[in-house]
Amino acid sequence: MPPRVAVKNLKKGGGLFEGVKSNIEALIVGIKYFVDPKRMTLLYPKEYPEHRPGYRGFIVLKKDVCISCAACARVCPSAAMKMVRVTEADPREPGKARQKQYPVINYQRCIFCGYCVDVCPVEALYHLPFHDITYESLADMFLTLEAFQKEPLRPVEKEGSPVVYEFDESAGLVKREKKGGA
Amino acid sequence: MMVLETLLYIIAYPPLWQVIVIGLLGSFLTAMIAIWFERKAAARVQRRIGPYWASPRLGGFLNLVADMIRYILQEVIIPRTVDKVPFVLAPVAAFVVSIMPIAFVPLSPYEKFWPVPDMQYSLLIALAITTVPPLLAVIGGWASNNKFAVIGSLRESYVITAYELIFVIAVLSAAPTFLTLNVLHIVEAQSPFMWLAFLNPIAFLAAFLAVLMSTSAFPFEIPESEHEVVAGPYTEYSGILYALNMGGAYVRRFIYAVLISLVFLGGWAPYVPPSEGPLFAIIVPSIIVAVKALIVVLAMSFLRAVYGRYRLDQALDSAWRLVLPLALIGLGWGIALGLIM
Amino acid sequence: MSISEGTIGELRAKGVEVKRLEREYYEIFIGPQHPGSGHMRIIVRLDGDIIVDADPDIGYVHRTMEKLSEGREWIKVTPLVERMTIIDACNVTLPYINAVEKLMDKRPSTRASYLRVLLCEINRIASHLYGFGIFGVFLGHSTAYMWGFGDREVFLELAEILTGTRLTYTYHIPGGVRRDMPQDFPQMARRAVRYMRNRMAEYEKIFLNNPVIVSRLRDVGVISKTRAAELGIVGPTLRGSGVRYDVRLNEPYEVYSELDFEVPVFEEGDALARTLVRMEEIKQSLNIIEQAVDWLEKHRDEPVIAKEDYEKLPKLHKELYEKTGRVKLLPTQISMKVPPGKAVARAEAGRGEIFYYVESDGGVMPYRVRVVTPSARNVIVFKKVVPGHRLMDLPAIYGSIDYFPPEADR
Repeated sequence: MPPRVAVKNLKKGGGLFEGVKSNIEALIVGIKYFVDPKRMTLLYPKEYPEHRPGYRGFIVLKKDVCISCAACARVCPSAAMKMVRVTEADPREPGKARQKQYPVINYQRCIFCGYCVDVCPVEALYHLPFHDITYESLADMFLTLEAFQKEPLRPVEKEGSPVVYEFDESAGLVKREKKGGA
Repeated sequence: MMVLETLLYIIAYPPLWQVIVIGLLGSFLTAMIAIWFERKAAARVQRRIGPYWASPRLGGFLNLVADMIRYILQEVIIPRTVDKVPFVLAPVAAFVVSIMPIAFVPLSPYEKFWPVPDMQYSLLIALAITTVPPLLAVIGGWASNNKFAVIGSLRESYVITAYELIFVIAVLSAAPTFLTLNVLHIVEAQSPFMWLAFLNPIAFLAAFLAVLMSTSAFPFEIPESEHEVVAGPYTEYSGILYALNMGGAYVRRFIYAVLISLVFLGGWAPYVPPSEGPLFAIIVPSIIVAVKALIVVLAMSFLRAVYGRYRLDQALDSAWRLVLPLALIGLGWGIALGLIM
Repeated sequence: MSISEGTIGELRAKGVEVKRLEREYYEIFIGPQHPGSGHMRIIVRLDGDIIVDADPDIGYVHRTMEKLSEGREWIKVTPLVERMTIIDACNVTLPYINAVEKLMDKRPSTRASYLRVLLCEINRIASHLYGFGIFGVFLGHSTAYMWGFGDREVFLELAEILTGTRLTYTYHIPGGVRRDMPQDFPQMARRAVRYMRNRMAEYEKIFLNNPVIVSRLRDVGVISKTRAAELGIVGPTLRGSGVRYDVRLNEPYEVYSELDFEVPVFEEGDALARTLVRMEEIKQSLNIIEQAVDWLEKHRDEPVIAKEDYEKLPKLHKELYEKTGRVKLLPTQISMKVPPGKAVARAEAGRGEIFYYVESDGGVMPYRVRVVTPSARNVIVFKKVVPGHRLMDLPAIYGSIDYFPPEADR
């Protein structure tokens, strides 16, 4: 059946009886949740969400795979990614140095759109499935080439336990302790 | 033993026990418990946890203590454009006057434990004093010289005129039933389970609604309605003065609830205080009354989770057209009860 | 008693200063720093408790999006414009992509269309629940607020599983979408749908049928059918006034014409009707989600981008797509050139019709991107409908049109 219009009308305002009834219904729903709250709160950082692998979180560079094509820097919509020129030992000709370009990222600007990861022709960039890292200063948010290759530590892992969300018909999202711990 | 007994007598010295301990400390504690419960109950209904991190084992109760300390230490900003004397005095006076009605009600059947010697017209006097603090809130809002505060004050004064009559009529419906204005006689007539709330539920409901309106609890949180008038009469207040204003509403709710629990919920009934010893003659019965009052306050707090707020004209409309007749029916019912009994 | 013009002239001639006394109104500024304003200011003039004039002062979050779009490549405009209505990011970027597709003469694959519709409807529910929550707290009903935001999380989680992020999906690319649906997505979506259907009854009991709320909303901010058409308002606000206009129905895009759903229309035109339109729309969106995941489960053979694009992908990209469902972008897509021309596209976003005009001069960047957002068209309600109501009706009307300042300001 194709989409169609459904014209409806409001219920007429009821009398006193209707008013008392809907007051009581509202109170009953309130009391029902007061007794059995089905809480949704995530006690971060005591618990932290473990996202699925597809999550677009922090980005890490695999330097050995990178072919210096600069597509990631060109595609970045917020100009967070830049190429830097480094001088390094040439793996093909031992003893010789070569110049090569690698991307670095500025997390002050990154919007986690994931274009850079998607555009990389050799899969040299990948997402980590989390988002929650703080930096002490703005300068720290410019990652150097070395820092960009390391998977950053997630501070919350030290104090909390991971939970995963499951969909439930009666409570919506239910957090479950992730099996096997952290 | 002598030391303990002397100590008990000092504590049970009527002005100290009834006004300071039950009145001031009791309402302070009730305000904190009520705010805590309000936040926790609303959180449960809203599928949250509410206050937690300050003391996970106590359900976050210490959060309220921390709040209080913060209010006390916070800078009190008095804007240059306000009328300083009423601006500062109004919340302080309102807080003090809020507690005063407790001095005029008996929390024990024995005269030696009363702060005031004669309880003949205690109900009338207590009712009269409860009508003063809202006026001070209006004065404070007016002195703020802030547009939102003025609107809030106006709303407050509209609401005062609406609820005051209802509360007085609803509470006075006890007088014809028991043929007395003495709270002591009202309480004793209800013992052990002839509570007026059962005999005259209509008047009880009217009094309950009137208290909700008077202390701007949901669904009548109109003077402080955040989304039009920021914080109503209290917009310009900060620090301890703001805390006095906001806590003052809970204190008033507690004092009203004490009146309700004496008049409608049987006071210290079903307990019958023995005449000797301060512990059982005054301390236990007054704690029973306070606990009953606390339960009434908590029931009022729970409504926050279920209701929004009425529009001003709708609240006034329902007050004059629905709750006032309800109170009058309650009064009629009370007279009828008095004729039967 | 009024003095005639002649008398005034005489008095003036004698050197008497004559000033016309105007009735003074009480003027209050609601916003931009006010708990009930959002990122805007409403200058309200009051006569007693009655609003005589409400002047919405918008532009506090203007970010020159149309101009910025002219300075970036075609696919980079998507992450920019989705920030206009971040809570409805999928719906507001879809017409832009549609317009670009029209210029490029490219059709998305049917599977991509279904995925787009799926995310759009998930997003519509999340957006409506957000608006519902704000509306609730405007009326002092904190439970509606928390419930709305809590249940929104269910749908944001669904969107996160589909796209990898909660809000800024950047999901559409010309010719398709960036990711396929995970294998276990349909059952999760169905569970979420069933959950939300059960919840709707509770929402009705505690909020929509609550006498306090009903009395706040009924006959408040009434916009008649002709008035609504005159004002040019859109979306649930328009359908609450009985006008049968929904882009999904009148000018179907993607696969909406193949789906079975209703467009709820209420005839009363008051705040309650507008709220109920939104709640009914949530129910219909739940139906659409079910249909979309059913279809997607059955038709797995097609890629999520246009066929001709898929065939052009290198082997590594194809393998990755088979394995993870992720569509890699080609570096050529960064500087892709769009044939010169003009295109328009519209879509039904959470708050109403969103309209894009995109012009290309054949370069790597748009020549012009023009957006007409639903909130920009609904803001007129403040000026035209609010006067005559009481001050406490202002939040009720504000919430019922679900006005979102960043969307209007762009």
